[in-house]
Amino acid sequence: MESKVLKPILAVYVGLFILFLYGPFIVLGILSFQQGPEGGPQFPILSWSTYWYQHLFGLTPPSRIAPLPVGEALIRSLVLAFMTMVTSTVLGVMAAQAFRKRFRGSGIVFYLIVLGMMVPGVLTGLGTSLLANNVLGIDRHWWSTAFLAHVVYTFPFAFLVMLAILNRFDGSVEEASWSLGVSPIRTFRKVTFPLIFPGVLSAMLFAFTLSFDEFPRTLFASGRDQTLPLAIYGTFSVEIHPNIFAFGVMTTLFSFALLSVYGILMALSVRRAKKMAMQEDIA
Amino acid sequence: MSAATPSRETSNTVRLLAPGVVWMILFLVAPIMMILYVSFWTQTTFAINSTLTLDSWKNFFGSEAYVGALWTTIRLWLIVLSLTILIGYPAALYVGLLVKSKTVSTILLVLCVIPFWTSFLIRVLAWRPMLGKEGAINIILQKLGLIDSPIEVLLFSELSVIIGMTQIYVVFMVGPIAFMLGRIDRNIIEAARDLGAGFGRIFWKIVLPLSLPGVVVGSIFVSVMVLGEFATSGALSGRKVNLLGNIIVTQVGSLKWAMASVVGVILTILLGIVVAGFLRIVDLKREI
Amino acid sequence: MTQSEPIFRLEGVTHKYGDLTALDGIDFVAEDNSYIALLGPSGSGKTCLLRVIAGFEKPDTGRIWFQGRDITDLPAHERGIGFVFQNFALFPHLTIFENVAFGLRNGALKISAAEITDRVSSAIEMVGLSGMEDRSPDQISGGQKQRVALARSLVLQPKLVLLDEPLGALDANLRERMQTELRAIRERLDVTFLHVTGSETEALAMGDQVAVLDKGQIVQYGTPEAIYDSPALSDVALFLNRFNLFDGRLDGAIFEGPFGATPVSSVRANTSDVYAIRYDRTRIFDADVVDLPGPALPVRYLASEYLGSSIVFLFETEDRKTVEVDHHLSLGEPRDLTVGEKYTLSWDPAQAIVFGKETAR
Repeated sequence: MESKVLKPILAVYVGLFILFLYGPFIVLGILSFQQGPEGGPQFPILSWSTYWYQHLFGLTPPSRIAPLPVGEALIRSLVLAFMTMVTSTVLGVMAAQAFRKRFRGSGIVFYLIVLGMMVPGVLTGLGTSLLANNVLGIDRHWWSTAFLAHVVYTFPFAFLVMLAILNRFDGSVEEASWSLGVSPIRTFRKVTFPLIFPGVLSAMLFAFTLSFDEFPRTLFASGRDQTLPLAIYGTFSVEIHPNIFAFGVMTTLFSFALLSVYGILMALSVRRAKKMAMQEDIA
Repeated sequence: MSAATPSRETSNTVRLLAPGVVWMILFLVAPIMMILYVSFWTQTTFAINSTLTLDSWKNFFGSEAYVGALWTTIRLWLIVLSLTILIGYPAALYVGLLVKSKTVSTILLVLCVIPFWTSFLIRVLAWRPMLGKEGAINIILQKLGLIDSPIEVLLFSELSVIIGMTQIYVVFMVGPIAFMLGRIDRNIIEAARDLGAGFGRIFWKIVLPLSLPGVVVGSIFVSVMVLGEFATSGALSGRKVNLLGNIIVTQVGSLKWAMASVVGVILTILLGIVVAGFLRIVDLKREI
Repeated sequence: MTQSEPIFRLEGVTHKYGDLTALDGIDFVAEDNSYIALLGPSGSGKTCLLRVIAGFEKPDTGRIWFQGRDITDLPAHERGIGFVFQNFALFPHLTIFENVAFGLRNGALKISAAEITDRVSSAIEMVGLSGMEDRSPDQISGGQKQRVALARSLVLQPKLVLLDEPLGALDANLRERMQTELRAIRERLDVTFLHVTGSETEALAMGDQVAVLDKGQIVQYGTPEAIYDSPALSDVALFLNRFNLFDGRLDGAIFEGPFGATPVSSVRANTSDVYAIRYDRTRIFDADVVDLPGPALPVRYLASEYLGSSIVFLFETEDRKTVEVDHHLSLGEPRDLTVGEKYTLSWDPAQAIVFGKETAR
């Protein structure tokens, strides 16, 4: 009886909850269409325009508001995210593959890996920069020290995703392959990998997004050359203009584009996964 | 992988694990050990040397600002954690348990998770036009005639930091709880209902205990992230709220490595206590 | 290789999972070119034995010989032993053709594309799946999957194929048809099948030889007839599901059971005293008949079950034990029995098999 009352109340609540999650985005989106260059980062909207988007791409005449230094930062962030994605996915698949067998000390290794996502970025960042700066005496760069710190953060995610996938994986197809005279390495390439590919894709998506958006570790562990999050953080301390809002809309769209690519690739391999599930059902 | 001799199996496991384990030891464990080590180094104005001393530690506990940051961090953590549970649990309850259709449940969950895929800093920044003196909330409240003059305490205060962090991290509470709720066998609830148990009783006796691991896992996520925060407090408090993370950033900025390390060690200990406390309630490896 | 040389040989093979002993010092010699059924109850270690032979698991002790070669330390993919899984384990991302071609394409030997096409086509034809080459495994039935799994192994021309409960996932009708087909396919090729099953009817119907596995040991090996006629242990008799077994006490040459004391001529070594008489050798008499061929077992009639060629009568002894009598219809019309009425069961004592703790002679 009570749940009949409770359910609609909670439904309304969830609506408000989602509004709470998205509200700031919506406001940010609206304000990104503020008139420029006079319009400020607040209501009311003087008049609608796409000035700040043009400003972002350097299509507006020079004004007192400096363009966001995003061009090179974007390239750096993409390259860094790609490097991190590849490395942590490879490490994650390997480690998860090892975890399919019981071995002594598996508990310690598990927690050691998971520690990477549990330790706050400010600590990993600080430690990495201490090590580089005060012990090894090497320069910090986004492609060296920051890259190392990024993988420490994303590898556990890739590992956990692959662990979940491989836990459900029926190993008899691999044994079947061996019994057909196919070596374990070739079996992995021809059987295991195609079948766990949806999982690999998820692990890659996680790693890429986390690295692309990573901020605290990069702040400490990278050198002078800024990545995208650092460039955004730099604008926090100065006066804010709606160009940063336009930029926020653009990065959000980029994230969605990434999610869509993932969704399409996933849909392509989901048929395969379905087949696997059906075969498991019979077993 | 192939079942060869046991030693070959072992060496295979070692080969697969070695790169990841070595990476974590060199670039995670070693750096954290470094923090502990450097916290005892001697700090001069612009340099640091490895003569061991307790000076930085004495400085930390001798300074009201530093110790105050510790208490602020703990206070803010407790507030945000409670808020994420209070706000997140009912949403998770609806998404994970009450929604009958699997599709609707998935859509709602995806809606909750999508912001996670967008830029963290943009999410923080998005609160500024919301909370400001001429922000959306003040405008709406004024239009509704609820207030005469704008509420100024909304932005650049502890309140704005709490609001921002709650919104950013509540997703990490909803996810695990909804997941645990989704695993509850509906037949148990039906059976309890058939036996005449009301919703309240079913909630207290069945739903809440079964979802508790989700609350704990969510709490670990939220705690770890809030305790290590500095960007949200920096961007939304106008430097009025200083967390341990903010101290580390400013100390490193002025090359005070030893003091930054002291704060780092204190933060690590705080985290260790909190996470160990939660892990006593639930075995993380089993829940995943 | 001559006919007499064994295809494979196991020497004291032992395998443990932690504290659990799955295989306990198994010695076994398998003839070439035969159909061997490996029969065992669940938990007897039969699947484990198969996996050890295939190389998926390594024995703790003992050696495995295959075609005169010690393969104990050889990884699975270098053994050349086929394996057919209970769940078929087809590659879900490949077509039927590519499933069958998989070993040829990805094995150590380089084989020309033309030869692969030839061999795969003839293998698919052999199992009667021509025309289905381009389907994917989720588009075919269980029986067809079974055939693909078989063709996938046989296309490599192995000398030994291990089948792990290959009919377990099929329905009853299909199971019977596949039984005949498996035997026919094997006879056409020079290959040994080692077929693991938990079903005694399947093992007895299919094997040229039957090995009975119990608690990690092979307790009997012989032709189906030999095992059916004279089980080596009371456990084998129990598992064959063809014998009424009575606990009792063996004292010298006298067995004391629920049917009184009866003299026995020979006794087989066993862990307990058990008296066994086959269902189809137990006969039904009215309760007051005194002229019996052997011991008299007083029973109450419970029910009957019609099985086509025979009828099974179920009785209950005084100590509430169920006893079965198999009446083959070719021996004449069965008698009419009244449910709940008392009868006497008897048999020719010479047809009984007696197991004893102390082997008298």
